[in-house]
Amino acid sequence: MKGYILKRLLRSLLSILVIITAVFIMVYSLVPRDNIFKNDDTFRKLSAKPDDKTDYIMRTWQNIGYLDYQNMSYYCTGLYGEATDETRACVLAGSKESKEFVDLYESKGYTVKYFINGAPYAYKDLPVISRLASWFGNMIQIDHPWKVKDETNPDLERRLYFGTTPTGGVALKCSGCEYKYQIYTDSRFPFIHQNILTVYLGESYPTYKGLKILDVIFDTQGQEVKKTVTFETGQTGESSIMFGTCRYKSVLDRLDQNKFTDHYASCMYKKATPSMVGISFIMGIFSIIIAYALGLPIGLAMARNKDKLIDKLGMVYIIFIIAVPSLAYIYIFRYLGTTLFGLPSAFPTLGAEDIRSWILPVISLALPSISGLMLWMRRYAVDQMSSDYVKFAKSKGLNQHEIFKNHILKNAIIPIAQGIPASLASCIVGAIITEAIYSVGGMGKMLPDAIKQYNNAMVLALTFMFAGISIISVLLGDLILIWLDPRISLTEKEGRN
Amino acid sequence: MTTRDDLFEFAEFDETESEHIAAPRYSYWKSVWKTFIRNKFTVFTAILLIALVAFAMIQPMISGYDPMVAPNINNSSMRFLSPSKEFIFGTDNVCNSVFDAVWSGARNSLFIAFICTFINMVIGIALGAVWGFSKRLDRIMIEVYNVLSNIPFLLLAMILQYIMGAGFKSLIIAMCCTDWIFVAYFIRTHVMIIRDREYNLASKCLGTKTWTMITKNILPYLISVIMTYVSRTIPAYISYEVFLSYMGLGLGAKNASLGKLISQYTSYMNSYPHLFWIPVLILATISISLYIVGQRLSDAADPRTHM
Repeated sequence: MKGYILKRLLRSLLSILVIITAVFIMVYSLVPRDNIFKNDDTFRKLSAKPDDKTDYIMRTWQNIGYLDYQNMSYYCTGLYGEATDETRACVLAGSKESKEFVDLYESKGYTVKYFINGAPYAYKDLPVISRLASWFGNMIQIDHPWKVKDETNPDLERRLYFGTTPTGGVALKCSGCEYKYQIYTDSRFPFIHQNILTVYLGESYPTYKGLKILDVIFDTQGQEVKKTVTFETGQTGESSIMFGTCRYKSVLDRLDQNKFTDHYASCMYKKATPSMVGISFIMGIFSIIIAYALGLPIGLAMARNKDKLIDKLGMVYIIFIIAVPSLAYIYIFRYLGTTLFGLPSAFPTLGAEDIRSWILPVISLALPSISGLMLWMRRYAVDQMSSDYVKFAKSKGLNQHEIFKNHILKNAIIPIAQGIPASLASCIVGAIITEAIYSVGGMGKMLPDAIKQYNNAMVLALTFMFAGISIISVLLGDLILIWLDPRISLTEKEGRN
Repeated sequence: MTTRDDLFEFAEFDETESEHIAAPRYSYWKSVWKTFIRNKFTVFTAILLIALVAFAMIQPMISGYDPMVAPNINNSSMRFLSPSKEFIFGTDNVCNSVFDAVWSGARNSLFIAFICTFINMVIGIALGAVWGFSKRLDRIMIEVYNVLSNIPFLLLAMILQYIMGAGFKSLIIAMCCTDWIFVAYFIRTHVMIIRDREYNLASKCLGTKTWTMITKNILPYLISVIMTYVSRTIPAYISYEVFLSYMGLGLGAKNASLGKLISQYTSYMNSYPHLFWIPVLILATISISLYIVGQRLSDAADPRTHM
């Protein structure tokens, strides 16, 4: 069995590679590039200046990862440094450097074109294979004292040492790494944290510009939670800073210098609302608990009283959920909840701290799952009711309750149990419509929004995450299946058995 | 007493008589039909369903409704009229009759739902049965499932719309190109559950061919489960289309559909509630009758209910 699981996990890795490749091809070669600018205000304003427009298009495409773009200002800054007189002379059209530029990039296989003002620019499409390789290559980042390469700070120390954090924890600190605190303790679960190994799935663009994708979806949102802290310089103040997340920052401003004694000043701040993943997961978990706690017993009761009142009432509910689109019944439910119980109609009205904000979204999310579980529980139980072993149990003199509890439930639950890991996984993916109607800042909107706004890095990262989670949940589902029903085997038996 | 031979006669050999079986004649489909029409409510729902579908097919031909044409758009006295004799369901924001819009939308939505259900079910059941049965195939198909089920559906729908333009073709292809794998996976799980049961082991030992085992031993056992799935799937595709329209990936501006109407009229839910509720009610009536007929068919299709 262990061998089977291992082999299946290995094959899953291959599947993930195929998925990511397919999505790479889809987002980078099948989606028309010009559509990106359809709703872009900056682009519209530039229509009077064709050169700036071309430059803007090229820079945007480069940021999204379609191509590599080179122009004279990059080239000259590289040669003479920023904002020097030589640079200014060099950027002008017809300078001697522009000839070198054209020769250089033509020889590198770039397409060279000219702006209307005569200056050349060059671009080259990035092939899918090299993009894929760098995507997977950068995925796991290992922090080490030689990681930071900052030319403006040549005297940066490179060492690891033990010390304490400003909040009183113990830490393995580092100078020269990207993160200052490599391993540290604090009062937050799970109490020991590390920054040595981090997963990097790209940077978000054009929405959430410049943020790491995992930070976008895993960071707390909303208002900052401030408390009195003492900074490294001895200054005290109200801040929501999380010291453990401090990263290297090349250029420090006055405020940073007042607070920090070194260059590790780019930190994250603790906010009141859970992260996108957090919100979706909390909502999902509670709705799943409600769904299983209600759906299974009711479904079983319906099967037991087949064609009686409870069965018919349950059927009315199931049919209602199936027949009315989710958009409509969530609106109906929200209307009922707000008028009858005075619950807030939108999540942000009272915020995440107030339990009343959660009630309507969680129950709305549970409504379809309850109906699904009722339907299938009833179906499987009814199918079992006419089987021979039930007839035999009846003839032996067992009562209805015993038959249901000990015989029918055990068999009927098998296909339902297989779906539990998948429904847990769907919590992380989020619920698109429910979250949109209640304006919940969860995961549901992320993928559709990323697709619509050409946030290609986000699409890839989310696909990768969701694929990983769902593949594992399918495997777990199969393992539950064979654990509950020993008659099923996933592996082929050897000849002698 | 002695037996007197002259009391007996020799009977002629009658081949038809000798082949006659005294048990009552059983025909599967006749029994299905009999069980199905036994319930008056079911018959009523079935007739309602047929009437609704027929009306949705015929009415748009008479009205000639086209969402791109709005002849009264500048006549503000005709905007948001309540239901009346002239406009049975009232008028909408562009002064078109909601009645015409709803039936034209119902026709398109039903068409899409039927086609998609048919394609996905045929491919899904056929593949799922083989997939569940063969452990060697399971190894490959699980990975196919992992790949297909994880490619973002919205991305696929969007790309298809770029390539082919919004319309029936791109929507149907988008709904069919990966969805069959979910049907197949569902069937696979159920086949796996009964594939290793004793009667199948016995059948295998007796040398039954794989194909016969799938079609004679396993699929008949699953008929009730499959029918439950199908009767849920047709309404689900209509709802799915509502969702896609909500995301702006539906049939496009040229074709009406229930999904588009519902997502479009959602904003008038408080100001002109009839605009929102009428398409929802029509959709609900069609879905409910489809579901009830499907459920009763699945009950009737189960030979255990024929006794």
